[in-house]
Amino acid sequence: MTAFVTLAGVYNTPVLSSVLGGERRRDQDLMTTSRALDQFLSSVEKRAFKIAQLGLRNDDDALDAVQDAMMKLVQSYAARPVEEWRPLFYRILANRIRDMQRRRTVRGRIMAWLPVRDSEDDEEFDAIAQAPSPDAGPAKRLELDEAIGVLETAVAELPPRQQQAFLLRNFEGLDVSETASAMGCSEGSVKTHYFRALESLRSRLGEVF
Amino acid sequence: MTDPTDFEKRTREVLDESAGRLDGHTRSRLTQARHAALAQLERPARHWWRAFVPAGAAAAVAVLAVVMWSSPADRPLASPVDDIDLLADAPDFVNDGEDLEFYEWAAGEVET
Repeated sequence: MTAFVTLAGVYNTPVLSSVLGGERRRDQDLMTTSRALDQFLSSVEKRAFKIAQLGLRNDDDALDAVQDAMMKLVQSYAARPVEEWRPLFYRILANRIRDMQRRRTVRGRIMAWLPVRDSEDDEEFDAIAQAPSPDAGPAKRLELDEAIGVLETAVAELPPRQQQAFLLRNFEGLDVSETASAMGCSEGSVKTHYFRALESLRSRLGEVF
Repeated sequence: MTDPTDFEKRTREVLDESAGRLDGHTRSRLTQARHAALAQLERPARHWWRAFVPAGAAAAVAVLAVVMWSSPADRPLASPVDDIDLLADAPDFVNDGEDLEFYEWAAGEVET
């Protein structure tokens, strides 16, 4: 009984109760942040994947890019205000896509000098082979109808900056300032890239759309 | 911002449709990626110095072992015979008659 009273006394000390209270608060904050991040990531993941897929024209690379962006956002920016997450996430994703495109270009140049190409992974990018095809598999067959195929092919062939501006502005719905932040450029550049992308797509798809 | 044109609306609808049609495998991998990212929050923050803790502990144990092994307390005490041998081996112990006379005198003083 004495021991209990003594222990109770220790637990009731202001220092210990404030430490325990602080830990509880931290746990609650962590849970709130985790829930908010889960909600945010699940709201953007499909569109993020489509953006990465159109930029990289490869599903596995696109998934890797999205996963890397998710990891980096949680690791480095979870404490930032919620409204900053979207431009930050797309900035990370855009950087990741650009890195992968560059690596692929370098690899393509190196492989062009070699006489034999024996690995599927090391093949130079082939736009026709990678374009959405109804024969790619049952899931793909269902996934793609004519409009999607035509639009995605046209978007995929846009220059990278125009493609980014178009997808972030039109598809993801970021405003000019958020798009500029995500692309790491000025708002004026975003407007120019977006306008050119629209013109290019309109001239290609005008009859279809 | 100006209102989106019909063309912009149409392209957005088509892209939304495409995103909505992702196959189960891709959706599942996206969910796994999200969970993997969120799992980082639950892990305690790692400090850089913690990586050196095992190596530091091993080094400390090794140093302690060396110190204990070479400690004088563990060594057997030198016997008086060893001391005599050492003195006898010293090249300048008996180097001239002057010192020998001194030691004889000193020994006589002790006996008396």
